Amino acid sequence: MKYKRKLSDHIFDLCNGLFLVMLFVIMVYPFLYVINYSISVPVGLRGALLLLPKGFDLSAYKTLFQDNNILGAFFISIARSTITPILMLSVTGMAAYALATQNLAFGRFLKTFCTLTMYVSAGTIASYIFMKQYHLMNNFLVYVIPYLFNAYNMILIISYIESIPYSLREAVYVDGGNDLQAYWRVFFPICKPVNAAILMFGIVSQWNSFMDTQLYCAMEEKLYTLQYLLYNMLASISNIEALKSGAVEVNAQSVKMAITVITVFPVMCVYPFLQKYFTSGIMIGSVKE
Amino acid sequence: MLAPAIICSLLFSYIPLSAWYVAFSEYHLGGSLFGGEFVGLKYFYKIFQDSSDLGYLVQNTLVINGVSLAVVLVAAMALAILLQECRWKKGAKLVQTVSFFPYFISWVVAYALVWALLAVKSGSINQFLVNAGILKQGINVLGEAKYSWRLMILLNVWKSIGYNTVIFLSTIAGIPSDQYEAARIDGAGRFQLIRYVTLPNLLPTLSVLLVMNAGWILNSNLEQFFIFYNATNWSRMEVLDMYIYKFGLKMLDFPYATAMSVIKSFVSILLLVAVNKVVKRINKQSMF
Repeated sequence: MKYKRKLSDHIFDLCNGLFLVMLFVIMVYPFLYVINYSISVPVGLRGALLLLPKGFDLSAYKTLFQDNNILGAFFISIARSTITPILMLSVTGMAAYALATQNLAFGRFLKTFCTLTMYVSAGTIASYIFMKQYHLMNNFLVYVIPYLFNAYNMILIISYIESIPYSLREAVYVDGGNDLQAYWRVFFPICKPVNAAILMFGIVSQWNSFMDTQLYCAMEEKLYTLQYLLYNMLASISNIEALKSGAVEVNAQSVKMAITVITVFPVMCVYPFLQKYFTSGIMIGSVKE
Repeated sequence: MLAPAIICSLLFSYIPLSAWYVAFSEYHLGGSLFGGEFVGLKYFYKIFQDSSDLGYLVQNTLVINGVSLAVVLVAAMALAILLQECRWKKGAKLVQTVSFFPYFISWVVAYALVWALLAVKSGSINQFLVNAGILKQGINVLGEAKYSWRLMILLNVWKSIGYNTVIFLSTIAGIPSDQYEAARIDGAGRFQLIRYVTLPNLLPTLSVLLVMNAGWILNSNLEQFFIFYNATNWSRMEVLDMYIYKFGLKMLDFPYATAMSVIKSFVSILLLVAVNKVVKRINKQSMF
C-alpha cells in the first residue's frame, strides 16, 4: 500500500529538519568555537563567533607543551585512565565469574553483598576520613584502589556470562582446568563485547574524574590531573569574571581554550568505540533491569 | 576469585559506614574515630531546630534534580521520535551521534565551554549579542543566582539527552512492525501512527526510567556543583551534597556535616525501596 504524502507531512518534515539542524548546532558549536579559538591568531577575537578560525597560530599549544606542570598532569591522567580500568575489569570480571557459579556456597548472600555497594554510600565526609585512615591521601593509589570493584559492571558481566551455556564451564573442568583458567582462558575472551564496553567507559570516567583530586590530592601538585589543572586555570580568572570585574588578557584566553581542547581530545578519539560498544555491550544487559 | 571484590566492598563501602558515629559525637579531625564524646542527637536537633537551612537546600536539590530528570527524559523521548521520523536517515544518525557526545565530557570541560560562550565580558555569544546591539551588557549566566537553576537544568539536558535517546531509540526499534501495518490499514496517518503506536510503546520505558532515577533525586553530582558554585550564585546553587561538603571539609564541622549526610542517606534508602516496588509493579503490568 503506497502511503500518500500530504501538505501537513511536508510541513512536519521541514520543521523537524530545522529543529534537528538547530540541535546539531547547539551540540557542536561549543566545541567548534573552543577549537577555532585555540588555533586562531589571538587578536581581535572578542565578539567573533569563530565559525572558522581566524588565521592560524599554534603558539597556545606550544606554551602548553613547554609547561612541565601540564606535561606531568597529562602523564598522571594517562596513567590513571589506563591502569585503573584494566585492574577494575580484572577484579570485577573475576567476581562476576565467581558469582555466576551455580550452587555457590552463600551465593545469594555474596551477590547481595557485592551488589548493595551500588546503593551503600557513607558519603563524602566518611570517605574522606577513611581515605586518610588508609593513608591514601596525596597518593597515586587513591586513583586506583577505590575504583577496583564496580558493582554495576559486575552485573553487566554476570548477565553476559549467564547467557553462555553452563556446560562450557563443565567442559573446562573435565579437561582438568580450574576456575582461574576457565575464566581467563575461556570466558574472558568470550565476554569481549561487554568487557570492551566496560573498559571504554572506565577509561573515560577515569580521564574525566576531577573531584577525587580536589578531595584527596589537592596538596600534592605532582598528582594533579589535566582536569584539575584546567579547573585551576579557569577558576583563577573566571571567578573574578563572574564577580563582574576587569578585562581578561587575550593570550591567556587562547591558552585556556587550548588546554580545554587537549582535555577533550582523547575523549573525542575514543568516542567512536564508546558508541559502538555502548550498543553492543551495555544495552544488552541494561534492558533486563 | 571473589576475594578482591569483597575486600574492596568492605574497605570502601561498608567499613566507612562506621564513620556515621561521628554524627553522634564531638569529633575533631585527626582524633580517633570513636574518640569524641558521645552527644546523642545534638547535631540532628541543630539541623532541624536551630537552623533553617534545610528548607532552601531541599528546595534547590529537588528543583534542580527533579526538573532535570523530567525534562531530560521527556526531551529524549521526543528526540527519539523526531529522529525516527526524519526522512534523511544519515542526517538523523549524525544528529544522534553528536547529541550523545556531551555525555562523555567532564564537568570541568562543560564549565570551560559555558565559560567560553557565556562569560560576561569574554564569552562569544554574549559579546556577539552586545556588538550586534541586541544586548546592552552581557548576561551573567554564571554569576547571577536567578539564572542558576535554568543553567543547571539546561546543562543536564545537554549532557544526558543523547544517552537517554539511545535507550528510547532501541525501544522504538523493538516495536513489532505489524502494529504499524495494522494501524495503517485502519487508515491511520503519520501523526496518528506516532500518537497511537509509537507513543504508547514508549510510555512504559519512560515511566520505568523516571521512577528508577527518582530514587537518586536527593543525590547531586558534587563535581557539577563544586565547579559552578561561586560567591554570587550560592543561594540557588547550594544543594545537600554541596552543603555537606562545605560544612565538613571547608569549615571542618565534621559532626554537623555527617549528621546531614546520615539524614540524606536514610531518606534516599526509603526512596529507593519505594521506587523498587513501583518498578516491579510497572514491569509486571507491561509483561501481562
